[in-house]
Amino acid sequence: MSFSILIVDDSLPMRSVIKRTFKAAGYGNAEFREAANGKEALELMKNDWIDIVITDYNMPVMNGLELIKIIKKDDLFKDIPIVVVSTEGNDVKIREFMDNGAAGYITKPFTPETIRDLINNILGEASYDEDLDDSDEDFDF
Amino acid sequence: MMKILMTAMKTSISEVMETMFYLPVEFGEEATLAQCGMDKNKPIMASRLKFTGDVSGSLCIFIPKDLIGEMAENFMGEAKGLLTDDHLSGTLTEMLNMVCGNALSKIDTKVPFELSIPKVIDESKIQEKEILTIVETFESNMAILLKID
Repeated sequence: MSFSILIVDDSLPMRSVIKRTFKAAGYGNAEFREAANGKEALELMKNDWIDIVITDYNMPVMNGLELIKIIKKDDLFKDIPIVVVSTEGNDVKIREFMDNGAAGYITKPFTPETIRDLINNILGEASYDEDLDDSDEDFDF
Repeated sequence: MMKILMTAMKTSISEVMETMFYLPVEFGEEATLAQCGMDKNKPIMASRLKFTGDVSGSLCIFIPKDLIGEMAENFMGEAKGLLTDDHLSGTLTEMLNMVCGNALSKIDTKVPFELSIPKVIDESKIQEKEILTIVETFESNMAILLKID
């Protein structure tokens, strides 16, 4: 089953790393969309169906927490799971993300296994593409 | 507090460099930028991130462009030849963001730290007398400058 994953991060290299990490974790058949901040993400969501949002917190224009609050107030988007991938590892901050509706939280630096376990938990084991687990992609976390 | 922050920063640099960039590091002596063992004839890239909270300050990082290229190659899994200056500056600022965020989350405070968006800065603007901490990799040295307001 193919999923549409929206990656929201102002860092171009980090978006690329998250995408590669998803592929290495068995989500090679997913469709990836990218946005550099919360505002861009919302614009993109108006036109493309998204199954899960992966967002950074610390971004210009609109940060990850503002994005979560807007998505969770929108009847059309409120059921889309949102995972925060951020350097912010403070318990108070993490609780704030979760209290506002985030489905999960991953602290940078991360490993593919961390992402795979959390996403499997949220989307269900069926989303994991075992055929790609032995892919020859040069990615050796 | 300076000692606690520096210890946390060093631990995070080791974690981030090994986990995301596959480059183990060791920490050297303190020195001025000119004495940090970086080749003066090769370009150096620098970035600064400010943090606020119970304690406020900034962390600057200085890395030879060649080393950033290697880090970006490892980080993104792209061949060096395909990497643009945007990839290099993005790798530099993301590395600083991860180090600072990771380090500050290890410190027990009443108010969570807030981080600024890391910015690329001109390394030549640093005062010659500033004392930096040397970070050694197998390839070359880099350096950090931690300041508390």
